[in-house]
Amino acid sequence: MKTKFSVTGLDCPNCAAKLEGLIGKVKGIDSAKINFLSEKLTVESDLPAGDLLAAIREAAKAFPDKVTIDAL
Amino acid sequence: MKKRLSPYLTHEVWQVLFGGLLLLAGVLAERFGAPGPAVLAVFLVALAVAGYTVWLDAIKGILRRDLLDEKFLMTVASVGAFVIGSYAEGVAVMLFFLAGEYFEHQAVARSRKSIRALMDVRPDRAIRLSDGIEEEIDADDLSLGDTVVIRPGDRVPVDCAVLDGRALIDAASLTGESVPVEVGPGSALSSGTVCRNGRLIARVERVADESAASRVLSLVEDANEAKSRQENFITRFSRVYTPAVVLAALLMGIGVPLILLWTGHAPGWTDWLHRALTFLVVSCPCALVISVPLSFFGGIGGAASEGILFKGGNRMNALAHVKTVCCDKTGTLTEGKFEVRAITPAEGVERETLLSLAASAERNSTHPIAAAIRELAPAAPSPASVEERAGRGIVADVNGRRVLVGSKKLLAEEGVSMPDGAQGSVFVASNGQYLGSLTVGDAVREESRDTVARLRRHGVRRIGMLTGDTEENAKPVSDALSLDFVRASLLPDGKYKAVEDLIAERNGSVLYVGDGINDAPVIALADVGVAMGGVGSDAAIEAADLVIMSDKLDRLPKAIRIARRTVSIARQNIVFALAVKLAILILSATGINTSMWLAVFADVGVAVIAILNAMRALRVKRL
Repeated sequence: MKTKFSVTGLDCPNCAAKLEGLIGKVKGIDSAKINFLSEKLTVESDLPAGDLLAAIREAAKAFPDKVTIDAL
Repeated sequence: MKKRLSPYLTHEVWQVLFGGLLLLAGVLAERFGAPGPAVLAVFLVALAVAGYTVWLDAIKGILRRDLLDEKFLMTVASVGAFVIGSYAEGVAVMLFFLAGEYFEHQAVARSRKSIRALMDVRPDRAIRLSDGIEEEIDADDLSLGDTVVIRPGDRVPVDCAVLDGRALIDAASLTGESVPVEVGPGSALSSGTVCRNGRLIARVERVADESAASRVLSLVEDANEAKSRQENFITRFSRVYTPAVVLAALLMGIGVPLILLWTGHAPGWTDWLHRALTFLVVSCPCALVISVPLSFFGGIGGAASEGILFKGGNRMNALAHVKTVCCDKTGTLTEGKFEVRAITPAEGVERETLLSLAASAERNSTHPIAAAIRELAPAAPSPASVEERAGRGIVADVNGRRVLVGSKKLLAEEGVSMPDGAQGSVFVASNGQYLGSLTVGDAVREESRDTVARLRRHGVRRIGMLTGDTEENAKPVSDALSLDFVRASLLPDGKYKAVEDLIAERNGSVLYVGDGINDAPVIALADVGVAMGGVGSDAAIEAADLVIMSDKLDRLPKAIRIARRTVSIARQNIVFALAVKLAILILSATGINTSMWLAVFADVGVAVIAILNAMRALRVKRL
């Protein structure tokens, strides 16, 4: 199932690509795509909604604190 | 979250300001001979003020084992400069980097904001009418079949059909079409359009999420996922660029001096390290990586505000190279409405007699040609009786006269003799005597001629028409517009075949414009498929590369202009930024100029220029 999230605080598309890679590697997430300019993250996963956001945030912890991910 | 005084006064500004003052103090102290440790202390504080946020991010980068993180590389460059004694340069690198970042953020935020404003066509409130009571609710809460009230100045909340009232509707924000349209009972309204005057009562036909405005928004948002050639190039390039530059820096800063030492020369550590650090300064491709997608983001957003929806940056590339344009005739080049273009009475027959009799005979017919004839003689009397001859025409009794209106064949069957070479679409006879003919045709749209001329100016080599209509009807349109080719009497699969043939000629890319209702496969087949007339049909949107919200062809040359300019802005940015980076790399590798000042200044400068240039793509009004 595809779910969209908002991602704010990323510096550039380069960093977006790195975060995208990291989230894509999370167990239970099949694919992740970040659109830097529209600030949207699209994730394909079968994880329940609550767990999914938590898992994504866990992965994003390695990034500067100003990077925030929220449900749309 | 801290509250900000102004969105522009972020803490980066304070860092740059204080860091800059401290840097100045340090430079002055050095110049006026302050003791060494004091000077170092001032510079160190300056570095810390400017760099502490970058350091924190760099630590995070190290923790996730990303040694090519730009923050980490900048930290190495500035600290490295301190190690070789170039304090001022170290601070400057950090300051400029920060200033560049600040500028990038502002520019990106600004672009995002203007695009959101452009795309702000989604109404959130609606007035529902139930049992005579009006209540204001969320547009999302409307269901199919609900009745809504639309007042003057309101945005139409969802796609709906007018039940009662008349008004002028302004669809500019959705279609780019500035002339308002008059609507009345039975008219369809698209969400996002604005009611200029008048009060309408309407029935909900689609819920908010499936209505025009939402579909346009999601189309534009998803558009950024289909990347242009330039964006793909930049992505691939940046993947190689940073590692290559960092590797070169390592070789130069450590490798070369070691080799010199090994071979018995003076190693010259400071000089080589200096060159290597200059490399690190330009190792971040971020400006480039931002400016290219930013151009397309702007171009796609700007186009959307003109009622032109690109399905992705790659479609801009394709559109920029179109050489052949094929149009469907009905409704794109012509009004899709028949009108009498010529009246040719037989010798000795009055024009009015001919028209009036023909109009009487056609009085009750539903054929579009009949409507065109009636329009010219609205006062013509009703016929006493009418007999339709399928495919041939009508035989009517008008005031006791036996009137024939139809093809040559009909008149011949009835034994009417006609002059040789009589021309027209409809022939008229009364009591066995030939009265003359009428030529009825689809009117060429006013703007079609101009559109064709503009397409040619934009480098389109061939413009043609693929139509299901007959050769007889197609030819005058094609002549009026001086088109390069016409294929008439085509069934839908005939259009498919025709486009297939054009593509097979390999004479540049082929564009097909259709209404998308029954020609979705042709739209999908063409190199560039354009669906006109909005986001109504799913099949058309799925198949099309480009959706034009209005049903006017004049958007097409504009779309080409926007695509061309966007692609060229992206190219300018790539060439310009790469050239500057390459120049810095060459200058510092050869030792001609190893100043980190110059490197960081040029690198940030080119970033700023590239981003400003990219923001130009958003402005499409005057194209």
